[in-house]
Amino acid sequence: MNATTAPPVEQASPAARARTFRLPGLRRFSAVYLWAIFLILFGWLQFHLFFTVSTFQVVFSQSAVTAVLALAFLMPLTADTYDLSIGEMMSLTIVVINWLTLHTRLPIGAIALLTVLMCAVIGAISGFVVVKLRVNSLIATLGMSEVLSSVQLYISQDHQVAGSFSNLFVDVGNNKVLGIPYLDLYMIVIALVLWFVLEQTPLGRRMFAVGGNRDAARLAGISADRIIWGSLIASAAIASLAGVMYTAQVGAYTSDIGQGYLFPALAAVFFGASQLSQRPNVWGTLIAYFALAFGIQGLTLQFGAGAFWVSPLFQGVALICAVAIASSRGALGGGGDSRAIRRLLRSRVSAPTTSEQS
Amino acid sequence: MRPSSRSCGTSARKNMTLRLSHLTKSFSGQTALQDVDLSVAYGEVHALVGQNGSGKSTLIKVLSGYHQPDPGATAELDGRPFQLGSAHAATAAGLRFVHQDLALVLQLSILDNVMLGRPYPVGLAGRIQWRAARARVRGYLSQVGVTADPRLPVGSLSLTERSAVAIARAISDTGHGRLLLVLDEPTAALPSDDVGRLLSAISRLRADGHGVLLVSHHLDEVLDIADQITVLRDGRVAASVPRGEVDRHRLAELIVGHAVQDHHASARGAGNGHQPVLRVQGLQGGRIRELDFDIHPGEILGVAGIGGSGRESVAALLTGGLQHEGTVEVGGTALRPGQPHRVHAAGAVGVPGERARFGVFPNLGVRANMTISFLERNRRWGRIDRHRERAEVADWIARLGIVTAGPDAPIQTLSGGNQQKVLVARALRMRPKLLILDDPTQGIDIGARAQIHQVIEDCAADGIAILLISTDSDELARLSDRVLILSAGRLARTLLRGPALTAKLIDISQLETQPEPALAVATGAEGET
Repeated sequence: MNATTAPPVEQASPAARARTFRLPGLRRFSAVYLWAIFLILFGWLQFHLFFTVSTFQVVFSQSAVTAVLALAFLMPLTADTYDLSIGEMMSLTIVVINWLTLHTRLPIGAIALLTVLMCAVIGAISGFVVVKLRVNSLIATLGMSEVLSSVQLYISQDHQVAGSFSNLFVDVGNNKVLGIPYLDLYMIVIALVLWFVLEQTPLGRRMFAVGGNRDAARLAGISADRIIWGSLIASAAIASLAGVMYTAQVGAYTSDIGQGYLFPALAAVFFGASQLSQRPNVWGTLIAYFALAFGIQGLTLQFGAGAFWVSPLFQGVALICAVAIASSRGALGGGGDSRAIRRLLRSRVSAPTTSEQS
Repeated sequence: MRPSSRSCGTSARKNMTLRLSHLTKSFSGQTALQDVDLSVAYGEVHALVGQNGSGKSTLIKVLSGYHQPDPGATAELDGRPFQLGSAHAATAAGLRFVHQDLALVLQLSILDNVMLGRPYPVGLAGRIQWRAARARVRGYLSQVGVTADPRLPVGSLSLTERSAVAIARAISDTGHGRLLLVLDEPTAALPSDDVGRLLSAISRLRADGHGVLLVSHHLDEVLDIADQITVLRDGRVAASVPRGEVDRHRLAELIVGHAVQDHHASARGAGNGHQPVLRVQGLQGGRIRELDFDIHPGEILGVAGIGGSGRESVAALLTGGLQHEGTVEVGGTALRPGQPHRVHAAGAVGVPGERARFGVFPNLGVRANMTISFLERNRRWGRIDRHRERAEVADWIARLGIVTAGPDAPIQTLSGGNQQKVLVARALRMRPKLLILDDPTQGIDIGARAQIHQVIEDCAADGIAILLISTDSDELARLSDRVLILSAGRLARTLLRGPALTAKLIDISQLETQPEPALAVATGAEGET
């Protein structure tokens, strides 16, 4: 492009269009297409089993918790920071709530609030490690995740912990309105709040800026450290909310909860990052999550109840594909830790054109 | 100017090692190199000098295979032609490169660095024979005059020793008896007292029979060591002369040429009566050893200096990118080191130099890139009012003539010049008292450059103080009220606006104020103001 020859506005636009709007929909809405493909495929294979109200209710009621966990992972990811401790954060919440209902007489509301606050404090500690001790966020939160799992083991003594809950609390987790589970409504509310923060406020804009280029953000007057710190506190609190939702829905703590929930959440966020605005975003995450959830549900029906191996296989493949798509398109930030995860997951494709001659 | 066509062949030069002829390279219509001939002999140090943009780096990049030359160029080494534009062919022919950044892995030992990518001597079961490897590396090191233990990590070495290790690595790649080494500004980053040691390492290479093509900005070292000097100017060979035939002054003239027009712009009424906007005292940090200066409202203060002079650190020190010592006061507020957001609050805004690294957010659009430093202006009820924001951005796009598909186009779809204008708009919309520009027109086309110059002048007319740090002497001469010439981290000379302030003078001043104590006095400066 050359600005010397008149104002060639038309020169710039085809390039822009080529990059963003080529194959309209196919790229930015691929999760929706995938969703549709799953519905058609499994609807065709398993018409009587798949296309039932119960299938949809099972997916939607089982998915709310994990979807909220995905939103927890999304928050720091916008600032190019990884929080892998969300899974253990959620199961810590569950064990603590159960334990507190057994050992204290506090009302359940107060217990839930206390637990979320506690998790926020733990998130602040992760933030301290990442920001002040300069530990790569991937490593810091992975380490934190082990610590949290040890705390759970200490509290639960590796046994199931089944608290006693009021009927109201159980209702809060299991009732439906117009056939829609309450949990999905909470999920929508949390998603709306995060969408507002990320897409509508200066704070969200700054988070994306830190995610895109941390050095440039600092020089542009943004306190990148504070943003990263805050995003880790937020992710811990949201993960804890997911834990509260799980407790309301299921109740008892078993030691195998945490990591099993982390994986689908990651897959959804990375897949979602290639959708819509083509950077980590709330609605893309939810769409991607439900597309994958229907895929798993369909596969489970297809292979029968014995096919417990289907879900991890599907999640693993989905995660790798999602990250491959997202990083080939530069949807993951170019700032800091994304380099580490890219190196972990795949080698970088080609750097964006620099400005040798313009 | 003397006839520039006293070209290469001063009689039958002995065994010619590298011979390039008719080398032309153009980038989308712009010619970077035009019909360049160059020959380097074994046992010779051949210096390649020229200003920024004269084509030196392009020449090196063509040699090393990074760029393809235009058709018609031929190259031969030892009489055997080899293909230009192929890294493999260059290596196979016997060319070796030491680039400016040295490409060493600081955590690894000298030995590992030298052996990087080469086969280690191995014994039984593929075990590395460390003793043999050490002895071999020690041999290479002694060729460049380094006595350090090969087991030491490269990170623990001085800068000079690192350069020497990089050279040792280049010559260690055997298979050829004699090599042609290309050293790209090996001394740019070195403290001046250490340059001599590296130069003696280079002369040792020459004594061993290798050919050396030395790219350098430092005229003293070129005059000191080179047997033959080739001057590039505007992509052509301006002259190629044996050492004894030029002195420093003449060489500087050859480099700058006569093509520089004078810009007798009328002296701006820079308000000297006011309090200074920026007051810098005893500034230290990065490559800056000590620096004092003031800027007044409406003044454009230029800063120039060759690579390594400290010019490259000034912007980062003032905008908080680097930790500084000493006093920096903006509008009476002292700045604390390393805190960019406080710098903004004090009213100083920088436009960073390396756009891609320090300026642009690749994941955001034009609009978000422009408004990121001050989002509060368009905030309403806690959220960003997109309509207002878009209107403001559209206004800036029109004002600076930014060529873009619209306020929401991805920033990567803009050309370098237009990305730069977005960054300028980002700074200007904060209504700064002081604007710090770091090479604002680097790598952008002429039209955009002129527009940015216009914007800079308009800002000065509005009373904004401007610190213009630049490698482009023409730009400095055109815009500045004063130009500070830096050398070795200190202020070496101040040039004032007037008919005598030309790009040529700025270039010569940079070259003449190099920190060689013996030579600082030697050359009679012309037209110093």
